[in-house]
Amino acid sequence: MRKTLIKGNDAVVRGALLGGATHFFGYPITPASEIAHGAADLFTRSGRTFLQAESETSAINMIYGAASSGARVMTASSGPGVALMLEGLSYMAGAELPAVMVDIQRAGPGLGNIWPEQSDYNMCCKGGGHGAFHNIVLAPSSGQEMTEFAYRAFDMADAYRMTVIILADAYIGQMMEPVGFPETVRHGARKRWAVYGDESSRRNLISSIVMSQTGMSEHNLALQEKYKRVARDLTDWEEIDTEDADFLLVAFGITARVASTAVRQLREEGLRIGLLRPKTLYPFPSERIRELTGRVKAVGVAELNDGMMADDVELAGRGASPVYRYNWFGGMVPTADELASRVKEDLRG
Amino acid sequence: MALNYVEVNTDLCKACRVCVETCPKHCLELGSEINALGYQAVRFESTECTACGLCFYVCPEPGVLTVIKGVDS
Repeated sequence: MRKTLIKGNDAVVRGALLGGATHFFGYPITPASEIAHGAADLFTRSGRTFLQAESETSAINMIYGAASSGARVMTASSGPGVALMLEGLSYMAGAELPAVMVDIQRAGPGLGNIWPEQSDYNMCCKGGGHGAFHNIVLAPSSGQEMTEFAYRAFDMADAYRMTVIILADAYIGQMMEPVGFPETVRHGARKRWAVYGDESSRRNLISSIVMSQTGMSEHNLALQEKYKRVARDLTDWEEIDTEDADFLLVAFGITARVASTAVRQLREEGLRIGLLRPKTLYPFPSERIRELTGRVKAVGVAELNDGMMADDVELAGRGASPVYRYNWFGGMVPTADELASRVKEDLRG
Repeated sequence: MALNYVEVNTDLCKACRVCVETCPKHCLELGSEINALGYQAVRFESTECTACGLCFYVCPEPGVLTVIKGVDS
């Protein structure tokens, strides 16, 4: 496969176009701006629609409208912008509308700064807005995965009528890496539930309001059944050297890249370390983590937040092994040496 | 001697420090003046600039940095 040296943010735009995206609504924000820039260029040049909204709140409601009419629609932002879109995400979950959102995480809270953090984990994986809902959350850890996940995201969103969030960080978005692109362009099929303004879709209604208690209860139960199906079908992760590991590292995104180097270094020193990298954060690979937690002596979770994923790892492991937390904030990203020495300290006990 | 130079559009800079940390020759630093946006804009102060352009590529704000190659001293 021929590869192009490209930023993660540009890779995600190309992946989305090849995956059949038809509309982009958004508002630029560092470190996600190149996605809006790239979409303004490539969506318009390929006969699709790009529109810069006046705010993120407007953008998410444009997405609601476009998704209702059957479009394969996307947006991209960073934490402060995604926070503004949460109300819309809840309404879309209620109305079961498919869309794709890219979150290039920056440091928070507030405006924070433009360096990487992974502190949007809870906001994206635990629903975000009001109501008991979930989004499918994908965690790319390379430019290649930015393209691949964006390419697959629209099919996933359509199949389950859910929002798919591609949860990357400032480094994954800004790093330039060689990326290969899929050779076929995907297209969305006509959706039987969407409103196309024609005779055959005239009776379709897109709404998240169900006034009767029994009706709303049934709607919620159906959503929960769907989330269980999503967990069965889509849960995905990568493992490195876990077969004989005494110590399991769990990390995603840029931290997983650092962790894979740390695992290699520690293996060279004769220590039996393995890495599990969730590719889907929702659904979370809880069952596999439970199995591995029962086999290893300890687990370490490295992330650029206060231990949001570590909570899920502990819950999955049910206390079978101690869980050590390695956390960084504010744009500080550990080197492989730093992470390896933290692991060694905990191995010595 | 021809010197390379980075011109800073001070009023557009948001002082994110990405160029400061990226410059391999440490030619850029945050200044002490507050700009129109309320930030301490970046300042160029060096004879070491190689005009590699990295500061330009990493700067998230369009139009803040212009790298000028070979200015006569």
